[in-house]
Amino acid sequence: MLQDIKILMKSLSDIDVKIMLCKSAFEWELLAKKYNSLRDEIEAFCASGLPEDVKEALEKTRASLVEKKGELPPLDLSDFFK
Amino acid sequence: MGLIRNIKDAVKKEVKDYIFQMVEVEKENEKKPEQPSTENVQKNIEVKAAQPEPEAEEKPVVKEEKTESEKKEEVAEVREKPRKKEIYPISNDLEFVRVSYKKALDPIAIPKELSELIKMLPLEEYACFMKLYCFVAADQKKNYGYWGGSLKRKIGLDYMTTAEFDELGSNLSAYGLLLLEQLTENQKTFVLYVPFDEDTMVKLSTAKQPERKPEKPVKKQAQKPAPKAKEEPKAEPETQRDEDIPGKPVEGMENDEMYKSYKTFVSLEIDKAKMRVGRANFDKIYMEAVKYIDKKYGFKVLSDSDKFKEYLTNYYISAFDIPTFENWKKSKG
Repeated sequence: MLQDIKILMKSLSDIDVKIMLCKSAFEWELLAKKYNSLRDEIEAFCASGLPEDVKEALEKTRASLVEKKGELPPLDLSDFFK
Repeated sequence: MGLIRNIKDAVKKEVKDYIFQMVEVEKENEKKPEQPSTENVQKNIEVKAAQPEPEAEEKPVVKEEKTESEKKEEVAEVREKPRKKEIYPISNDLEFVRVSYKKALDPIAIPKELSELIKMLPLEEYACFMKLYCFVAADQKKNYGYWGGSLKRKIGLDYMTTAEFDELGSNLSAYGLLLLEQLTENQKTFVLYVPFDEDTMVKLSTAKQPERKPEKPVKKQAQKPAPKAKEEPKAEPETQRDEDIPGKPVEGMENDEMYKSYKTFVSLEIDKAKMRVGRANFDKIYMEAVKYIDKKYGFKVLSDSDKFKEYLTNYYISAFDIPTFENWKKSKG
């Protein structure tokens, strides 16, 4: 079990690294999807409750993703209005 | 002779149905047995004038048939009765004004005049009215909008079925505290009665209040009259609706067109705002929008491209003071 959570946390830190290298909205969306599925996986794995450090790590990655999204060029809404 | 016989048969049939229906009505109005009987007498006299013989023949037949069908109908009546009580408006002279609140009320105050009115409501209607009142004053900042599932959810009545919610709405409408308008087959709008207050509200328009008095007799009359009335109750509300909302279906169609042009308008306004505030500031606003959406609606919304675009647009509308669809529509006249 310890091994499994370590693998999951490794995937999370991979996402962290990729966030720093992310340069486009498309990449960001892929990372966000990865993060969402990883989060679901971790939550399913720790059904009894997330350990505090895992929770913190997840929140940190989420904050990085949000920040990155804000740093990327504003989303073009022109197709949304068509 | 054949023609007369046919007419006789037709009248027989009509009288039979009529008496059958009268017996039902009498059952319904057990508490007021006198009224239907006087009407019976009057109508029977009229019928007798046309064809006196068949009535005497048919009465016993009706009594026999009554026992079979009555059981089913009684069960249905018992279920319907508590809800189908006749509702009289609490007040007839309320002016329904579409208002927008200058800002969300905090605290939400209920004017004494209104509290006097709503204290007469039954519990469910009272609760629904209060929920609507809190919602329009604190969240929506306008006392009108679409009536439907979204509103039901927003005021915390999600557990109710649509039919139950609609029934509450029509009851409130019958009490005279809510104005419901059928825009199209599936779209309804509401205007909640709120006493106008100059300090907190802006008057937008006065909503036309439908005449309530005729509605109730129509329901009663629809049950009483002879067989012809079986088709009439369906036809009457339709004609009434058409009169009440002239051109409303057209407006529904128009809305789609209008919404498209509104979207174009918003797009242009956002572009203008972008030019006005400058690229750097616009980027900052975008960043704030991202943080706000994440905080308020969650990361799932942020990562969903379509939803994010929708919420981002709403954020821009709010941030750049772009008129909402309703206000824009009004300004267009």
